[in-house]
Amino acid sequence: MDKTWIKKITKSKSFSAFTSALLAIFLGLIIGFIVMLFARPERAVAALQKILFYGFTDLGNVFYFATPIMMTGLSVGFAFKMGLFNIGASGQYTLGMLFALYAGFTFDLPLGIHWIVCVLFGMLGGMLWGIFPGLFKAYFNVNEVITSIMFNYIGTYLVDMLVKGSAKMYVPTTTRTAYLPQSAQLPALGIKNSSANIAIFIAIALAIILFIILNKTTFGYELRATGFNKHASQYAGMNGKKNIVITMMISGALAGLGGAFAILAPSTIAGSSQTYEPINVIAANGFNGIAVALLGNSSPIGIIFSSIFISHIQRGGTQTSILGFKPEIIDVVVAIIIYFSAFSLVIKMAAGRLITKMRHSKGKEEVDQALSEETYMPDKPGDNTDDIEEKEV
Amino acid sequence: MDNYIIEMLNITKVFPGIVANDNITLKLRKGEIHALLGENGAGKSTLMSVLFGLYQAEEGEIHKNGKKVEINNPNDANDLGIGMVHQHFKLVDVFTVLENIILGVEPNKMGFIQKKEARKKIMDLSEQYGLKVNPDALIENISVGMQQRVEILKMLYRENEILIFDEPTAVLTPQEIDELIEIMRGFAAEGKSILFITHKLNEIMAVADRCTVLRKGKYVGTVDIKDTTKEELSRMMVGREVNFKVDKSEAKIKEKVLSVKNLSVASEHHKNLAVNNISFDVNAGEIVCIAGIDGNGQTELVSALTGLSKMESGQIILCDTDITKANIRKRSKAGISHVPEDRHKHGLVLDYSLEDNMVLQRYWEPKFQKKGFIKKREVRKYANQLIEKYDVRSGQGPTTIARSMSGGNQQKAILGREIDKEHKLLVAVQPTRGLDVGAIEYIHSQLVASRDSGKAVLLVSLELDEVMNVSDRILVIYEGEIVGELDPKKIDVQELGLYMSGAKRDKSKGE
Amino acid sequence: MDIVYYLVQNTLPVAVALLLVALGGMFSERSGVINIALEGIMLCGAFAGCLFVHFIEKNSLPAQLIFVLGMLVAAVAGLIFSLLLSWAAIHMKADQTIVGTALNMLVPATVLLFSKMFFMSDGVTTNTRFYIREVKGLGDIPVIGKLFFQNTYLSLYIGVVILIIATIVFYKTRFGLRLRACGEHPQAADSVGVNVYTMRYAGVSISGVLGGLGGFFYAVGVMDGNVNGHTGVAGFGFLALAVLIFGQWKPIQILFASLFFAFLRTLAYSTTLIPFLKALNLNQDYYKMLPYVATMVVLAFTSKRSRAPKAEGIPYDKGTR
Repeated sequence: MDKTWIKKITKSKSFSAFTSALLAIFLGLIIGFIVMLFARPERAVAALQKILFYGFTDLGNVFYFATPIMMTGLSVGFAFKMGLFNIGASGQYTLGMLFALYAGFTFDLPLGIHWIVCVLFGMLGGMLWGIFPGLFKAYFNVNEVITSIMFNYIGTYLVDMLVKGSAKMYVPTTTRTAYLPQSAQLPALGIKNSSANIAIFIAIALAIILFIILNKTTFGYELRATGFNKHASQYAGMNGKKNIVITMMISGALAGLGGAFAILAPSTIAGSSQTYEPINVIAANGFNGIAVALLGNSSPIGIIFSSIFISHIQRGGTQTSILGFKPEIIDVVVAIIIYFSAFSLVIKMAAGRLITKMRHSKGKEEVDQALSEETYMPDKPGDNTDDIEEKEV
Repeated sequence: MDNYIIEMLNITKVFPGIVANDNITLKLRKGEIHALLGENGAGKSTLMSVLFGLYQAEEGEIHKNGKKVEINNPNDANDLGIGMVHQHFKLVDVFTVLENIILGVEPNKMGFIQKKEARKKIMDLSEQYGLKVNPDALIENISVGMQQRVEILKMLYRENEILIFDEPTAVLTPQEIDELIEIMRGFAAEGKSILFITHKLNEIMAVADRCTVLRKGKYVGTVDIKDTTKEELSRMMVGREVNFKVDKSEAKIKEKVLSVKNLSVASEHHKNLAVNNISFDVNAGEIVCIAGIDGNGQTELVSALTGLSKMESGQIILCDTDITKANIRKRSKAGISHVPEDRHKHGLVLDYSLEDNMVLQRYWEPKFQKKGFIKKREVRKYANQLIEKYDVRSGQGPTTIARSMSGGNQQKAILGREIDKEHKLLVAVQPTRGLDVGAIEYIHSQLVASRDSGKAVLLVSLELDEVMNVSDRILVIYEGEIVGELDPKKIDVQELGLYMSGAKRDKSKGE
Repeated sequence: MDIVYYLVQNTLPVAVALLLVALGGMFSERSGVINIALEGIMLCGAFAGCLFVHFIEKNSLPAQLIFVLGMLVAAVAGLIFSLLLSWAAIHMKADQTIVGTALNMLVPATVLLFSKMFFMSDGVTTNTRFYIREVKGLGDIPVIGKLFFQNTYLSLYIGVVILIIATIVFYKTRFGLRLRACGEHPQAADSVGVNVYTMRYAGVSISGVLGGLGGFFYAVGVMDGNVNGHTGVAGFGFLALAVLIFGQWKPIQILFASLFFAFLRTLAYSTTLIPFLKALNLNQDYYKMLPYVATMVVLAFTSKRSRAPKAEGIPYDKGTR
């Protein structure tokens, strides 16, 4: 009898992760709808329909736009597992883009090899930018949130400066980068009127590899242990500093790949590719990655689906301009989804707490102890305030 | 009739899945010292929290002077003259003594704090009751005993007449305990009524007029101290005869295992050294106990030994190998097992399953991994072995999430893991803290068994009974120095207390 | 000497914006709530204030009156917006960093959405100049007059007053004591009857007011009344967080930290005026990165010994002791 009872709870726990994601999405869409109702009441319903259903008619582009945010989502989610909040995916993404562009314009390599080199360069760029928050956290005790925000700005300014300074990459008349040579572009999938390309498969494969790393390897074991309880991981002799730096490197590399996948994609016009406009704006895809990771419960498999979902409503969002709205409505919706996703962590914690309370039959005071542990030392992403200073908790 | 100032009648407090207080009645007379006795988890703190307004009871009533009252928060309690010294002091570290005392009842004009007024009142109280404090000292810079005075002054400042003390002696030396008992008697003589939560029988016999006993959330009875004995109280508390002596034979001391030479460790809290030039040895086949009041350097000593923190100077040798510079993993491999002080902070990853926790120190061994991939089947097999061997009880066996296990079973899991691991030295820090008598007895027996199998055991304990009963040799630590090396068979608790409070020290140990 | 005057006159409006926002952050964080949403709060205040100015400036009101009115609107907007943070952080016990990030994303998206829909632009621009060429009487004082009472903004004096009030409230009043207790040891505060929730709402709300004001002062005093959703407040809210850490969560130290960062920024944007820097002939973009790079350097050196409020970022649950 005891066993079935526990099963129910565990079920409801994973269930609650999923339902709270759905709830966040629902609230995001509802509030987005209210905003639209407020702006143009007569067209709001039509716009909502576009948002919800247009994507199905443009699956190629849904997949194309899902790829970069799947990567930034994996980047953020992977760091979450270690208890790190990589808000710097934007900077890493931008650096990845720069490195990929550089390799694309500078190297002269045969078809079939060139784009692979470009992708690897993009990965390298992101990795480079991911190391900094890792190093600052591990060796200077600086909270990674602050560091990665600062490196978003530094990275964006740096990349824009370097792009504008390069005659090979930059076309002043269009204020954008030039088209990449065909060899540097990602092989297209040939879906009509879309930029869908091979990268979506690479991204999904990477998600599966990450899932295996996290759940089956000693590195994943260490990483998750550190994310749950860094004191215990230290006690167990794990090298926390090294793991922080490695995690941030991997996280940065994933975001950098996102940047590479975004910029190396062929565009719908034959022979042309995507371009980048250096106007000192921090890449939104890094932040979208946060939404993707939260909705996917930081699980690589969940992130595959959440990124496609976000891409789906984004595609619909662009279509609302026909009705007099602007695509930014989706950014509003995404922000609201993140807002409510932060609550879902709490909902999940509450579910865990419920189990604790129910499972305890020995003594109330122990429950109290366990509870206060949970409330006062929550080992959850984003809660690394004590790293600004070693607090005695 | 009896003159009851507080009556808690048929109190029932339920937490999801557990009845913490089941129909409990407690009556406090005016001017008495009333002990509330029970094991860890018996519901004492919950009951007092109900009285102090931190929790609301589902059933039952509270009367003051015969009239029913509602206590919904600490403010209500304070208005009724109820004050409480919590087991974990509720003091703000970076505030001064004065600020902590006035917090919540600040004397003010238009919101501006009148410190002069407050200072005068505090100094007067301090004088009147002999509770010396420096009102401008920061809490983080004063001793634990001093902090307790601040807590007591907080109640006096609020002119409370019903004083609750939650395990007030846990952090004090025997001499400080005597002082506290005097202070409590003084309060009672003045007409204040005192509720005193404890699980220590000696103190009850020494100070209390009456005693109410709880067991597993239920009311067992209330007795007059002058009509009872320690044995009877302990039977009421545990529900069976308790053997306070630990069964063990003479220690068979073998070769030297651990040798610590001139170890010094910096403090995180103050500028002085937390551990100051300590040297000692631990041999195979003996249990050496580091005894001392909390906060005298034990934590830092253990951190330095196990590699959790860096040392300033000194040398650590384990079985002829110098491990001074080795990291935690290497020390673990060299043969140190460590049952940490805080099982939730260090000992377990609470969100991991029991089986994952069982290999926390060993997941990297070839037995449990191949080319970086964890062998789940081996882990499961090993976890089941340990669960069987050390009687770890949990809902779903190896797949139970550690967080959902009871404290006693969590501790058994940690102990089992550390004992089963290849080791020469077992460092156990307060291994019985917060556990009930059954679990305590089990853990003591395991420590002795470990000793008898030829391991060296270093036990750090704050509990005098544990120090006296379990150890073969006692090292007393005071302000970061070893001030005495004692034989538990040759000394009594009083003398041990003198060492622990720094009043006495061996000539051979330092200046 | 003219360069010095120029640098000081240009540093101060920047410093005031940083100072107010960081002071707001101080109230929020020392009550126990991490406020990473300062960036969004600033932009919210800046946009609301400038939008108000945009509509009211057609009436021929005196410039400084418009300034004060715009300021009040910004403060109210910041306050209301900050409730989204306090509600989530305090009542819903949500993750404060993530909520802050969401709010930071919400503001520019909303600004862009509405500006594009209703103004066909990325933001709003005001035409009134709030610049004060010289404060009558005081501007003539040698040196000091030139430094503090010429080519300046009303915000400077308002900022000084707010700093003084904030410091007194923080250290001398019952409210300040209780607020600080909630950020360090909420259980202690609760056990003596202080309502932790109320204090935290108060702390975050003050940060909303000051953040909104700071955003408006930034928009008017630094960006000449131009607010748009793309550049937003260019990371000033985040710099204010760095100022807060650098200033050790204490008002007077925050003042010096904000002067330091404001000076760096002014320097970065005036390289052409300073012969030494001009001679280096570096790309202007290098200097744009300077405040952010400086933040990292400063944090690397100071964070080891810095002491954040202990209970910061940890939701308070009345049910636990």
